[in-house]
Amino acid sequence: MSNKINTIGIPSEEEIKKAQIDFSPRCTAAGRVNDKETQKMVEYILNFARKHSLFVLAYGTGCGAIEIPATMTSRYDAERFGIRGAATPRQADVLLITGYLSTKTLKRVIRVYEQMQDPKYVIAFGSCTINGGMYFDSYNTIKALDRYLPVDVYIAGCMPRPESVIKGFIKLQELIQNGNAGNGECYRDNLDWYRTNQQKIIKNWDFPDEYNW
Amino acid sequence: MDLIHNLKEVFEIDAKIKNDFQIEVEAKKELVSSILLYLKNQHGFIHLDHMSCVDWIEDEVFELVYIVWNPNTKKTVLLHTKIDRNKPEMENIDTIWDQANTYEREFREMYGIEFPGLVAEREFILEGWTEMPPMRRDFDTKKYAEETYATRPGRENAEDVREKIIKRTGEEIPDFAKKYSRD
Repeated sequence: MSNKINTIGIPSEEEIKKAQIDFSPRCTAAGRVNDKETQKMVEYILNFARKHSLFVLAYGTGCGAIEIPATMTSRYDAERFGIRGAATPRQADVLLITGYLSTKTLKRVIRVYEQMQDPKYVIAFGSCTINGGMYFDSYNTIKALDRYLPVDVYIAGCMPRPESVIKGFIKLQELIQNGNAGNGECYRDNLDWYRTNQQKIIKNWDFPDEYNW
Repeated sequence: MDLIHNLKEVFEIDAKIKNDFQIEVEAKKELVSSILLYLKNQHGFIHLDHMSCVDWIEDEVFELVYIVWNPNTKKTVLLHTKIDRNKPEMENIDTIWDQANTYEREFREMYGIEFPGLVAEREFILEGWTEMPPMRRDFDTKKYAEETYATRPGRENAEDVREKIIKRTGEEIPDFAKKYSRD
């Protein structure tokens, strides 16, 4: 490995301890105050448009991706809420983390998330992303997703049925309308904290030095 | 049966009939490749179904199981062999079946069994793994997970929180769910 790869650096023990002590996730949708009264009119209209056209990246991890075809097709028909698929990360608004996430996949998911254009939203599926679920003692899956990526909405269940999935999307739409969703900016501001957490579990770190977002 | 008789004659091993479709054979590890080649060429067991590994930590052995199948007679042979757990090494059989290469890579990564002469990347499923091979039984996976991954603190008590949720959201518990209430 050359030295160029680790400009942000493998975290020192102090940094790791700090990350462990400071446990609360940095970017949560609930933390921001930006409701209808304080929003500008342009922002309000933009949010209205955004919430009715959610392009979901056609990407699934774990077992939860099996609920997506059922949600999208004729029985539950998510497209009546403006939810539809997008082919590439750069065209997508929403990233779905559907179920357990192994460290190997986490690396790819981070790359995908960082390529998405603002505003971008993350919906985490199932109990595995919340607390590890049935993989609580697995050597190879992460236990709490919001240490590594900012999450807007969690959908509980193992697996959540399409009704719950749609309810999660409606919750996301509410958050978007109130101006509380979309953590891309917060992720960039707290990049060091997220990078420390990510590098702690991704051993062969070979990300680009810098993104020009 | 022909096969059992032949195995006794050629290799001096006892095969036993497990059921109508399965024949179980146990052999020393030096004989495994010759038996597999014999079964493939002479008895039509042309298909390698599966290879698996069992960690018998109490006896300090790994048990490898080779499952081969004959498509004409629809019979299966399960070939068991035991190798030393402290110095795990096994003969490479990907010259007999190409697909054995993948299984052997997995054994090498998950159990640390070496296959001399196996041509494959060392890294297979795990990325950047530096610990003990994780499928070994003395690898404490829960301890490793607790040390490595951030976990979310759980609830302190086991109270039924549905009442609180109902108050907060104004939903109602449907009748069929009431009988599962803890109260």
